[in-house]
Amino acid sequence: MSWGDALSWLLRLLLSPQVFAPLIFPGLLTALVVLLTVIWAERKIAARVQMRVGPLYVTRRLGGVLQMLADGTRYMFQEFIIPATADRLPFLFAPVLALTLAIVPFAFIPAAPGFSPIKSPYSLPAALAAISAVPLSVLLMGWSSNNKFAIQGAVREAFMGLAYEAVVFISALSMGVLYGTLDLEEAVSRQWLPGLLLNPVAAFAFFVGMVMSAGKLPFDIVEGEQEIVAGPYVEYSGIIFGIGMGLAYLKLYSLSLIYTLLFLSGWEPVVAPLYSLYPGLGGVLLFAKAYLLMLFIVFLRSVYGRYRLDQALRAGWRIYLPLSLISLLISILLRVVGVV
Amino acid sequence: MSKPVSSFKLHLRAVATGLKYLLFPNRITVYYPEEYVEPPEGYRGLIRYYPERCIQCGLCAMICPASAMKMYRTKTDRKGRPGVNYQRCIFCGFCVDICPQNALEMTKVHDVAYESLNELVVPPERFSQEPVSPAVAGGARRLKTVFDEERGLRHELA
Ligand code: SF4
Ligand code: SF4
Repeated sequence: MSWGDALSWLLRLLLSPQVFAPLIFPGLLTALVVLLTVIWAERKIAARVQMRVGPLYVTRRLGGVLQMLADGTRYMFQEFIIPATADRLPFLFAPVLALTLAIVPFAFIPAAPGFSPIKSPYSLPAALAAISAVPLSVLLMGWSSNNKFAIQGAVREAFMGLAYEAVVFISALSMGVLYGTLDLEEAVSRQWLPGLLLNPVAAFAFFVGMVMSAGKLPFDIVEGEQEIVAGPYVEYSGIIFGIGMGLAYLKLYSLSLIYTLLFLSGWEPVVAPLYSLYPGLGGVLLFAKAYLLMLFIVFLRSVYGRYRLDQALRAGWRIYLPLSLISLLISILLRVVGVV
Repeated sequence: MSKPVSSFKLHLRAVATGLKYLLFPNRITVYYPEEYVEPPEGYRGLIRYYPERCIQCGLCAMICPASAMKMYRTKTDRKGRPGVNYQRCIFCGFCVDICPQNALEMTKVHDVAYESLNELVVPPERFSQEPVSPAVAGGARRLKTVFDEERGLRHELA
């Protein structure tokens, strides 16, 4: 095989949806960029609202946008300490598992019409299931750290999981009922009106459940920076700490993509020239919408204080669970009337 | 109105307020080492000592409520001259007020850092040197605060 053949083969491999989607867009590479810029944006937005400047000195001209890259590099070269009392194997295994599980949903999220690595009629529950498996590995992290703060954080994670998981699933399911499909790609094509307008109750319940799931303020109860200093991640140092920090943002990213697909009519309207250039690029609008959504969620940090665990649980069970059930009823009603 | 409904309105208001500040930021901090906010008249910063005016009466050391001011005596100079220990000083200004000769003066310099605690003890020789702000020495732009009816505080070039 000549060099040219090998190169074109490599290019073809890279451009096939099975590789391009999980690795480049909307997968790993984009996720990394999102991670770096969203964390920066979060700090910058909070600074603006709180009358400050925010990160500045790393790449001053660009407003410190490379700050997170600098932080990430620092994590990379920091010593990785395994506490003597920790349970070694799960301690090392859990973060790897968490990261893997956080990336799995990208295999099910279509980036553009006809462009998803795993085409499945059940892509919505599959993606959600992968996301909701992440807390299990966080539990494992906290447990194997053998530290009381870590265990407290893990227990909080378990409690929070009970609070939001049902809400997220039921409100997503109600959209599934409304569209008559559990395939994310088809769900987009069924939205003659954005799902947000079709079933605003589901959109609201899913939104709050998603913020809870990603552990963003006002629900950053698991990390509890002020009293249990990063909770399950407290014993982790170096790059694994960075992973712990990035985990929440990865979850946020994949949930935002799902939210955009379900409620904000996904990649519609498709940018035709880009789509004909390469189908994967047709998803730029999907990405833009999801990104704006993420920006809004991180903006909430500067508005809210943190809820207590019991308050979040109460909100989850007493308000958002009934709301999601109502949204299911609305969907059934709309379906019967034949709106969609 | 039930509580979740009424609090929903409050949530909306909180988000709206946040958005207002996001779109129309009202920054009150300055880029410090490049910009320096000039303190107002009468600001009580580091103290400066003028040995040529001093009559070595010791009143400043006597009035100091924090025992920060102390007379440094030598073999040849039995009456001594004042020095200050900034570990203790509470910047009350009593020493400056009581001095019959106006030999002490409060400067506006306040943004100094020391490498060791010992440097905070300032003997008469060092006490008589003009204290410098590292930001100003580094060529910071001087700003002054002005009140603005709409915005609250605002910074202008001094
Ligand atoms: S300012 Fe007050 S505390 Fe400081 S040296 Fe003078 S009298 Fe003492
Ligand atoms: S009160 Fe004034 S004149 Fe008297 S010793 Fe102190 S500095 Fe000198």
